[in-house]
Formats: sequence, C-alpha cells, structure tokens
Amino acid sequence: MIKYLCKRIARSLLTLVIILTVVFCLLRLMPIEGYFQNFDKLTETQIQVGLQEMGLTDPLPVQIVRFYGQLLQGDLGVSRVYRANVPVMDILADKIPLSIRLGSMSLLLALIVGLPMGGLMARFKGKFFDKFGTLFIVFIQAVPAAVYYLFIQMFGTELLGIKMTFDAEDWRSWILPVLSMSLGNIAYYGMWMRRYMVDESTKDYVRLAKAKGAGGSRITFRHIMRNAIVPLAQYIPTSFLNTVIGSIYIESLYSIPGMGGLLVDVIKRSDNTMVQAIVLLYATVGIIGLILGDILMVILDPRISLGKKAGGR
Amino acid sequence: MEQKTILSIKDLEIEFRLRGKDLHVIRGVSLDVHEGESLAIVGESGCGKSVFTKSLMGLLDSNGKIAKGSITYNGTDISAYRTEKEWMKIRGGEIAMILQDPMTSLNPLKTIGAQIEEAVYLHQGLKGAAAKQKVIEYLRDVGIHDPETRYKQFPHEFSGGMRQRVVIAIAIACNPKILICDEPTTALDVTIQAQILSLINDLKEKYKLTVIFITHDLGVVANVADRVVVMYAGDIIEEGLCEEVFFDPKHPYTWALLSSLPQLGVKGEELYSIKGTPPNLYKKIEGDAFAPRNPYALKIDFIKRPPFFQVSPTHKARTWLLDPRAPKVDPPEFIARLKEGGYALNE
Repeated sequence: MIKYLCKRIARSLLTLVIILTVVFCLLRLMPIEGYFQNFDKLTETQIQVGLQEMGLTDPLPVQIVRFYGQLLQGDLGVSRVYRANVPVMDILADKIPLSIRLGSMSLLLALIVGLPMGGLMARFKGKFFDKFGTLFIVFIQAVPAAVYYLFIQMFGTELLGIKMTFDAEDWRSWILPVLSMSLGNIAYYGMWMRRYMVDESTKDYVRLAKAKGAGGSRITFRHIMRNAIVPLAQYIPTSFLNTVIGSIYIESLYSIPGMGGLLVDVIKRSDNTMVQAIVLLYATVGIIGLILGDILMVILDPRISLGKKAGGR
Repeated sequence: MEQKTILSIKDLEIEFRLRGKDLHVIRGVSLDVHEGESLAIVGESGCGKSVFTKSLMGLLDSNGKIAKGSITYNGTDISAYRTEKEWMKIRGGEIAMILQDPMTSLNPLKTIGAQIEEAVYLHQGLKGAAAKQKVIEYLRDVGIHDPETRYKQFPHEFSGGMRQRVVIAIAIACNPKILICDEPTTALDVTIQAQILSLINDLKEKYKLTVIFITHDLGVVANVADRVVVMYAGDIIEEGLCEEVFFDPKHPYTWALLSSLPQLGVKGEELYSIKGTPPNLYKKIEGDAFAPRNPYALKIDFIKRPPFFQVSPTHKARTWLLDPRAPKVDPPEFIARLKEGGYALNE
C-alpha cells in the first residue's frame, strides 16, 4: 500500500510536470500584450526592455528551468494584467478560501441530504417518497440551473430579509448560495444512491440476510447502504477538491469574490502568469482527487487492494 | 415408526402477478414434513420447487402471493402472516436457508465473523466475546481450519466450498429446527459436493435438524434423502421413501427423470432427454400437467387431474396409470434395470 502510494505520487508528479511544461510552452506562443498593462502606449524599445527584464527574450529551455526553480521556492510569479504587479499567490490566497468554504458547505449539505434521500427512496421504492424524490431529481436535472438559481435568489433574499449581494460577515447570506449550489449534487447523489441501493437489494446476500431473520431497516442500514456507497465514494474527494474551482454562475449571481470564472477571465485578458498558476492549481486538485478516491475505495471495500496487480477488481 | 409432523402444508396455491396476468406457480400442493427427516424435493428448473420453499419463509417476491391453502408450523398457520415482523419469528430461528450460490450469498464488505455473529446476535442474543466464542465454535463445526484467523477474513479470501461452509455456519447459528438447502451443491465443484453434503448430514445429527433439500440432481438425492418428493409444473406428482421412488417409481415423469440421469446411462447408448417443455403456467392446466410430454398418456390424462394413488403407506403417485381400470403399462426397461439392483444407491 505504502509502496503503491509512493509510486502513484511519483507518477502524478510526472503528469503534473508534463502538463505544466506543455502549458508553459503554449503560453509562450501567446501575443506579448499579456505582459504589459498599457501595451498600446509603450514604444518598441520600452517593450523590448520590459521583455528582457522579465527574462522572456531568453531561449525557451532557460525560461523553463527558471520557472521550475521559482516554483520550487513557492514563487508563482507576479500577475501582469489582472492585478498588475501583485504576486499571484496573494491574489489566490484571497479567493481560494472563500470558494472552498462555499463549496465544501454545499457538498456536505448535498451528501447529508442526497445519500439518505436515495437510501430512503430505495427503501420505499414505488411508494410516495420514492415518487416524490424522483420528481425532484427530474426537475433539478431537466430545468436549467440558471432558472431556479434566480428564483432562489429572488424569493430567498426577500424571505430572509437580506441583500441580494453576498456579505461574508453575515452568516445568513451564506444560506442561499450554499443551498443553490448543493441542489444539483443532492439530485446527483440521491439518484445514484437510489440506483445502487436498488441494485444491491436484489443481490443474494440480501436474501440470505433476510433468511437469517434480519429486519428491513437492519438490512438497509447494516448491509446495503455501505455496499451502495462504495461505487459513489470514488467521486467524493474529487468533488470536494473541485470546490476550489468555484461556481461561475453562483458567484457572479451573488457577487462573491471567489475563484469562479477566474481562469476564463485571465485567459481572456492573457495574463500568462495567472493562467500558469491556475492551471497548476487545477491539475494538482484533479490528481489529488483521483488518488484520494482510490484510497477511499480501498478503505471501504476490502476486495480492492491497490498494492497487488492481480486480484481485486 | 410413527413420526411427528413438524411442518404441514395443505392445498397450497401460489400465484405470481406478471405483466397483468396470473401465473399459477404452485397448484395445490399438500405435504407433511416429519421431524428429523431429510426430505428431497426434486424437479426440473421452473417446476416451482424454489418458490415453494421460499413461501415457507415468507420470502416470495412482492408480486407473488399465497392464494389458497395453509402452512402449519408447530400448530400455527404461518401462511396467514402478512407483515415482515411476523415472518421474522420464523426466519432463521425456526426455518433457516442455505442458498445456491455461495459466491454471491455473502456480503462482500463484511468479515465472515461479523456475518455469522449477526445470526448469533439475532437468535441467541449474544454479543461481544461470548458471541465471538460461539462463532468460532460454529466455524470449527463446519470444518474451517484456524477459525480465529478466518473469523477476521472477508468472503473473497475464501474458496467456493469454504464460502458454502460459512453460509451453512450462518444457518446453524440461527438455531433453526428446519434447514432448507436450496441446491446447496449446484454451484460447487464435484469434488466439494460430497463434502458439503456429508457436512450437512453431520450437522443434522448434531443439531437435530429437519432438512429439506431442493435439487435437480438425483445423485444428491440418493446420497442424502430419506424421503423424496417429485415436483412437476407446480404440483407434487410422486412422493415416497428414497428407495421406493428410485427403484419402484410409478409416475411416467419420474421414469423420464431417472432415465435422463447421465451417470446411470449405458455407454454407447444415446442419453435420454425428456421431449418438449414444461407447460405454460399462465393457462389453467387440465388433467395431468405432464400428459403432453408423456408417451404413456391415457385419454383421461388430458381431461381430469389424477388423484394420488397410494402404492404403499409411504409411497403415492399422481397418475391415472395406477387406477385399477387403467391398462397395464410397464415402466421403461431402464427402470427395470435400476430395480434389479444394478446400481447401488449410496455409492
């Protein structure tokens, strides 16, 4: 297991290096406007001096080595356009915690509501609760999110008596964004949980548990539930880490200064150092999510062993 | 020997509602199970043997129901049970079950110790160290070596035969009076089959169980059963002691079933197979259900359902051939050969 993890992390680092190098090289092909805030007003010589100062006239391999050297010291460089001459680290340090808090609260809500909802739907399959839940899931998945986000914002703010815009200090203003963000995930986890629960409940071991004399809720909670969570568990760490990425729509709806849409924004404004830093962040998050997902599977399912090549699934 | 009846089934009819139509799976079955015997129910796939035993524990799928008849266990008519709560009094503690496929009948995410312990907890009320002690005892009972280590292992660390032993340990841990074995050896290697059967027999003696085997394997029957019940299309067509059914079968279906045993075939001769398929259970069956596939069928077989004709106090068969007015029909030559004792039952 430990050996496997070391190998896995080494391979992930290699992946990360490849991604960063490719993105770095691609960004060198971008127009040089991105390195200056007031490009139009500069003379040709000023531009050349500027580029030289930033080391952009050096051969590509030299630039790459320097980039990794800075990276190892924890230096992500300085934003050029988005917020001129402010270190990228400082910009992100303001935004990331907000998105993570928002995202993890909404994911937690989704898991707390979604998993039991799916479980109960499976338990009372075909009964009222199941039909009601299905209706909810179909609604959430069929109606464009923007529509009910707007409704929640309009009626919610009125109901709570708060402003439409977000205020991190006021706990009440967290409620609506968190709720809106979690609805999609509630439907997602509810739907899959129900499906996996129903799948499990037709298996032979459930019949044996019944023949053993175990009652309905004992079977649901002690036997089926954990088995149904296994296939879902793989995705939970990824969706947790994805909260770093933020939600473009919700954050702009409530004017939350989070990560949502930042990548698109800096690419449009060709702020190359920012793009580079955010790509690094997202790639790391994705890779860590995958590793954690696998580890969680191993913890939950004794049949899966990461160390051995043979056996397991 | 006068035996006490532990389970008495009277005129049981079971229907399944399928795509808006009623499927008559069990059509008026009556059967007495004696305490301490091992009874085998044989028949081909789809004859209703599994459904029949499931109904004894209230494990019918939700679209199936007992339409008529009664199941009397210890003086109570359990066929009237409607709620899970009522059935839980029967399941495990009174009647336990071993399923066909040990590869799927254990929960893959729980240690086998925990799975047996659950039965110990549910039916003996033991917890903690006392329960663990009991579990290890049961593991030893079913012939699992080094039970202390095995206790902590998961089903995937066990072979098929070992898993079936665990399933048996779970059933025994419920402290049942009756043990239903639904094709307990079908999914196992031939080499393991005999071991499992003799294990069940040993446990039957040790825990004074009544065992009901469901099987389509007549070899299994010959090995373990005191009494045999032959089912066809949801009805019992012949019932008798093991020797009686094997050596002196009366129903043409039993003849056909025995003739199709490959082990008893003669080298060089073509294997016998029963022509046609079992009847459609959606339709009401007139007369003898086997008549359309029966080369010995009489005219009346297509019109009137035959009653049971008593052959001996323990042996009866549902065929018009036994009526005194019926023409004399000799069983196929093959059955006569069996009778001459060419084949030992318990080889």
